[in-house]
Amino acid sequence: MRKVGNVHAVDDVSFTVGEGETLGLVGESGCGKSTVGLTLLNLIPATSGHVFFEGQDLSTLGRGEWRALRREIQIIFQDPMESLNSRHTIGTILEEPFIIHKLGTPEERATWIGDLLVRVGLPRDAVSRFPHEFSGGQRQRIGIARAIALKPKLIVCDEAVSALDVSVRAQIINLLLELQREMKLALLFIAHDLSVVRHVSDDVAVMYLGKIVEQARATDIYERPAHPYTRALLSAIPIPDPDHQRQRIVLEGDVPSPITPPPGCRFHTRCPHTIDVCKSDPPRWEPVDDEQYVACHRWRELA
Amino acid sequence: MTERVLRVEDLSCGFETEDGYVRVVDGISFGVAAGETLGLVGESGCGKTVSALAVMGLLPKPAGVLESGKILFNGEDLAAVDRSAMRRVRGREIGMIFQEPMTALNPVHRIGKQIFEALTLYESGLAQGELNRRAVELLDQVGIPSPERRLREYPHQLSGGMRQRIMIAMAVAGRPRLLIADEPTTALDVTVQAQILDLLRALQRDYGMAMIFITHDLGVVAEICDHVIVMYAGRVAEQAGVRTLFRTPRHPYTHGLIRSIPTVETPSKSMLPVIEGVVPKLTEMPPGCRFSNRCRFADELCVAETPARCTIAPGHEVACHHWETVVP
Repeated sequence: MRKVGNVHAVDDVSFTVGEGETLGLVGESGCGKSTVGLTLLNLIPATSGHVFFEGQDLSTLGRGEWRALRREIQIIFQDPMESLNSRHTIGTILEEPFIIHKLGTPEERATWIGDLLVRVGLPRDAVSRFPHEFSGGQRQRIGIARAIALKPKLIVCDEAVSALDVSVRAQIINLLLELQREMKLALLFIAHDLSVVRHVSDDVAVMYLGKIVEQARATDIYERPAHPYTRALLSAIPIPDPDHQRQRIVLEGDVPSPITPPPGCRFHTRCPHTIDVCKSDPPRWEPVDDEQYVACHRWRELA
Repeated sequence: MTERVLRVEDLSCGFETEDGYVRVVDGISFGVAAGETLGLVGESGCGKTVSALAVMGLLPKPAGVLESGKILFNGEDLAAVDRSAMRRVRGREIGMIFQEPMTALNPVHRIGKQIFEALTLYESGLAQGELNRRAVELLDQVGIPSPERRLREYPHQLSGGMRQRIMIAMAVAGRPRLLIADEPTTALDVTVQAQILDLLRALQRDYGMAMIFITHDLGVVAEICDHVIVMYAGRVAEQAGVRTLFRTPRHPYTHGLIRSIPTVETPSKSMLPVIEGVVPKLTEMPPGCRFSNRCRFADELCVAETPARCTIAPGHEVACHHWETVVP
């Protein structure tokens, strides 16, 4: 196989997530947000950089240590159908984490599974049924039950509510928030629905073509976005209010390829405020205040 | 009252299955006028796409059945015409665009060839030079840069947003009186979605088309629709002008749906108001109101008797036994 290039899916990304907190990661297709989530679980190996979990550098871990770590970091996927084995009963699916980590007797596991089902709002008799017998929202609840089974510290939610009907989305969002409070979970909430992200997040990071272009407290990102891309993104969100006056910032063209990202600031090819330095020099990560950071040469004058 | 381009009356359709006939759309009625956009809103399984397919004569055969009702378009009842008559209408008078552009685009043919094919459907006998000119004009109209070059490219060389624009170009090539758009922006990034919505609005203005916009996204509804039908489990729950629908919804389902969407005012990380439960399976519907098993206000009457359609103001209809009292 001939190598034709490298896809710089995620490039020099840094962030922190605290206990009981949610970091929202937003961006459009190809920005690398899902790759970030998968890298945290070592489902995609990182090519460089470090992930520190509770102070420990994960790049130093061996296989056995990674397996132990999987108890602490879990993931919920977008498609509830694809992430559940359609040939297994719900009972088998939920028992698997306990079996892999050699926890409990069969009787104890049966009790734990029953309690998990109740906790996520499913009937106990679900144990003997199969995934296809449940709706999308219910299957997502099963995915959540599996993710919390071993009482993890961090859960990556990769577009966890995007594929759900609107009326079910709110149910699942509430469930995640409740579980977060009870279990003091750290959540990395990866999504493209900015209204949902604002609601569930404490902080939000905006990604574009592999880079984080802005990070701030959730309220600040929406009220005082500093980066031109964030502003364009926010102006594009359809608001469920017919009288809402929008000032739409139209971005020309499409997102460039991550194989050959533009030099300098990666956003310069579509930014309405590009000047010469943007085309040659990557912008520095600068503080707007204690909790808001932006990578843009012109953020001060554009504020 | 502006002239209605399409009037659907008591439409029912469904599918033959191993376990017998299952009705998926149960007696719905709606209309749309020239220059107007009607939103068809609802969640999975509500029947919005099947309704659109029925209007287009595209219910999948042999299982799909247009059981009853009228589809009045241009003085004809499309429910009663034969297949060749329907083919004449479809494409020329009624255009349709889908969520996935690749349903309309042939991956092994160049874009140009596909556009020419669409143009030739509406006007035969055009010389190649004229076809080229019109194709470039069409691509230009839908905002595609360097249109001459695009004609020589294949669908896979274009981004999702571009492909969607090509599909729109092909659908409006014949200047149809009605455009049916089935979730055309659902799979697109939000910035591209905004561009496509702008494009559809501009085309509608320029061509005076009526448009039916099918979606589950209430934000998009607020942006692009003039009137809205909310469907639930195959029936119409509520119909209203877009402002009325968002300001004073009367059906508990509509109200619940709108309330469950977080806004700037929703306190961060607070519990969202939810509609409990799930849509019943088609084979397990209650005899009366189909929303009754999830409705906070449902009583025995609701479970037993299907609510009638009530006109509560001009252009505002609701199907709920207790509409006067339940929604604040």
